[in-house]
Amino acid sequence: MQSDIVIETRNLTKVYRDFWGRQKVRALKALDLEVHRGEIFGLLGPNGSGKTTTIKLLLGLLFPTSGQALVMGKDATDVGKNERIGYLPEESYLYRFLNAEETLNFYGRLFKMPRLVRRQRVSELIEMVGLDWAKRRQLKEYSKGMTRRIGLAQALINDPELILLDEPTTGLDPIGIREMKDLILKLRDEGKTILLCSHLLADVQDVCDRIAVLYQGELKELGRVDSLLKVRDMTELRASSLPPEAMKEIEEVIKRHGGETISMGNPTTTLEDLFLNIIRQSEEHPGRRVRGASSAKKSEAEKEVGSE
Amino acid sequence: MVVEAKVIPFLQWLAGATLDWFLVVAALTAIVLTLVWLAGALRHGPAIATSTVGRALVAGLVDLVAISPKRVVALSWLAIKESFRRRVIVVVGVFIVLLLFAGWFLDPGSMYPARLYISFVLTSTTYLMILLSLFLSALSLPADIRNRTLHTVTTKPVRPSEIVLGRILGFSVVGTILLAAMAAVSCVFVERGLAHTHALVEEDLSPVAAPDGMASRAKKGRTDKQNNHFHEVYIDSKGNPRLATNRGHTHAISIDKNGEKTAYNIGRERGMLTAKVPIYGSLRFKDRNGKDAERGINPGDEWTYRSHIQGGTMSAAIWTFEGITPEQFPEGLPLEMTIEVFRTYKGDTSDPDNIPGVMGGLSLHNPHTGVRGKEYSFTAKEFTTDSHFMPRKQEPAEQDSTFSEDDDLFSSKEKDDGALDLFEDLVHDGKVEIWLKCLPNSQLFGAAEADMYIRAEDASFRANFVKGYLGIWLQMVLVVAIGVMFSTFLSGPVAVLATAGTLLTALPMVSKFMVELAQGPKYGGGPFESLIRLLTQTNMVSKLEPGLRTTVAKEADKVVQGGLSLISSVLPNFGNYGFSDYVAYGFNISGDALLVASTRGFAFVLPLFIAGYFFLKTREVAR
Repeated sequence: MQSDIVIETRNLTKVYRDFWGRQKVRALKALDLEVHRGEIFGLLGPNGSGKTTTIKLLLGLLFPTSGQALVMGKDATDVGKNERIGYLPEESYLYRFLNAEETLNFYGRLFKMPRLVRRQRVSELIEMVGLDWAKRRQLKEYSKGMTRRIGLAQALINDPELILLDEPTTGLDPIGIREMKDLILKLRDEGKTILLCSHLLADVQDVCDRIAVLYQGELKELGRVDSLLKVRDMTELRASSLPPEAMKEIEEVIKRHGGETISMGNPTTTLEDLFLNIIRQSEEHPGRRVRGASSAKKSEAEKEVGSE
Repeated sequence: MVVEAKVIPFLQWLAGATLDWFLVVAALTAIVLTLVWLAGALRHGPAIATSTVGRALVAGLVDLVAISPKRVVALSWLAIKESFRRRVIVVVGVFIVLLLFAGWFLDPGSMYPARLYISFVLTSTTYLMILLSLFLSALSLPADIRNRTLHTVTTKPVRPSEIVLGRILGFSVVGTILLAAMAAVSCVFVERGLAHTHALVEEDLSPVAAPDGMASRAKKGRTDKQNNHFHEVYIDSKGNPRLATNRGHTHAISIDKNGEKTAYNIGRERGMLTAKVPIYGSLRFKDRNGKDAERGINPGDEWTYRSHIQGGTMSAAIWTFEGITPEQFPEGLPLEMTIEVFRTYKGDTSDPDNIPGVMGGLSLHNPHTGVRGKEYSFTAKEFTTDSHFMPRKQEPAEQDSTFSEDDDLFSSKEKDDGALDLFEDLVHDGKVEIWLKCLPNSQLFGAAEADMYIRAEDASFRANFVKGYLGIWLQMVLVVAIGVMFSTFLSGPVAVLATAGTLLTALPMVSKFMVELAQGPKYGGGPFESLIRLLTQTNMVSKLEPGLRTTVAKEADKVVQGGLSLISSVLPNFGNYGFSDYVAYGFNISGDALLVASTRGFAFVLPLFIAGYFFLKTREVAR
């Protein structure tokens, strides 16, 4: 039976030393965490908090100063574990003299995928990331977003069980960000485990099941997103089509029960939703100026009702 | 060309070389492991150090043995793709331009045009390929580490050994492709550059009277001058034409008679591009009284490669050849020799074009029965290869003779009366002796073992040319392996410098110096003994006072010399792979020489690959 714990760190510490062995930076201090199978785990923190260092230790790109890092039950430096993982680095560090097909083909060969299987997989992935039209162009001619997509494709070439994403939405436009998030959720639904590292909190909030917050190499908080973000001493109510009299009546009810109305009014949507809505409507009705926030808000509300 | 070292048969060489290799590798491994263990023990204690070193060794063995050929091929493909997408093919273009310019400056009319052309193409190819290999191999991996493209490779199930091997193979393939292109272009350049012919008309020929004074059809003359030389022409009494060899070559000639008109058609050069297959013998000497001697005399020459025989005495240099069969030499023995003429007096040198030569004598002897053929006297040619043909039918020893170009103009009756047959009378069990004597008093001939050889049937020049390029290929692979190894732990520019520095030590003269250093000086002792001599103002030849100080110094010197010996074994010697001289001087590169060089190359590449693997494995790629 497969273990439920996919990633485990025990007292993981990383200290960068100079040539003479003197300590320069303590990047990670005694990190203990576990990532369970089938969840999206977010690693948060400001710049220099140790997020990328953690990922590199898990991948064997760095060696721990002390402690242990286990991936799929194997030591992080064990090359064999890489058969089942995929990695999207912070920048897509790909060979710029290769084109998209060659890139994915090359990485597929590193997994010793049979030629026909590899060819099909390459084709599927290029299709999935929407770069079929540019598959024969060298990567040096790609935009940042296009390179990022190919980076994601190479991370998925071997259909991995565990995917490590370092700042996955960097360089993507809002549509790309949305697609990336949708893809992450889809991968989770397929049973894959995702370790996501980002300093863009909104992105993490949308997709992660559990998060760990790092600061200066130390673990500051760990837990489920929904429970960590819940503001327990407040109640939120949303309703549509309420006349002003009804709003006044609600205020009085709250007052009668000893509560305090903090705010009441029209909620705001997110800029992401507004943008996506405008783009969607522009595609549906080309040449017409589309409706703005209210339309976006309505779409968001409709989505929420649908999910309930 | 001086062939100082004999080519040892491959199997004979292999046993000893393998043992030496294992000893050197074992010694180096022991030193490295000890140093690593010491560093670990100082940091973490002996128990942890032992466990770490043990685990690293086991993991290393697994990584080296479990290499996936498919991944290695994929990584090689990447290296090849990178090279060609970065336009390495430009090197071939540069080479072609170089040849085009060289065509203006290389003189086909020089004394040894074949040598000149071949040396030029092989040398320029060598330099270009070495430089290209150096930069390709030393800069690639550091660039990947700096650009972090290696992160997306090492996070796949790829072993460090596969990365290192993939690079070495990939760049070797790139070099092979470029080298093949340059070899093809060079071959065409050499053959076309040396191609020439001559013109001959009737007016250039004059009749030669027969020995009996009767009229004959024999003629002689010379061709026109092309490429700064001409050929003597001989037409024998039967009307068969022949061109004499000049500048190491001749031409085919045919005669077309059309009524009164006779046209002489001279074809392309022959014998200019050769791959001689020399059969060397063993050399011994007779002193001035005819007694056996280990070596000849030394007339004061610093270079002791050659030994000398005195003229006008019973002194002789005797070569014994083996494996001489009638199937190989049905007509006789073609000899070539490059002996040194040591004059104690110059003679009349007032006419520089007619400086008197020094006469020598050559004779064949049966090593078993002592029967000898007649002694052919000849004028020794200095600073060049002299060719003689010892015919199958030999006159008995009593009759003297002299080699002459005119001998063949008049067909003589069969010399069967009392004639000796080479294989029936003079060769015993495939062995024959060739005696060389110097005839005039007070002059000497210098001879070394490789100075005389029997010339077997030539091998193919083109095949030999390719073999010459194989030597360059071996050097290129070695440079790639060294460059990749250094690039696993050094930055790009530093790896280039380190590789270049190692190549400098691989130069033949530097290698020779290192070996001499390791063998120790003849006088004065090693560094510690020399220090004592300096401090006590003792000269280099006197013995030191026996005692503890002297003993310690001598033992310390032995350790130093052992270390130097180890270092000189570890450093490659490019002289072992350079066959350019063989091709330029027209000598065939034997299969044994190729096998020895290839095995030597592999013996260097393997430890370099292992070292590169360990350096990459212990490196934090993301740092």
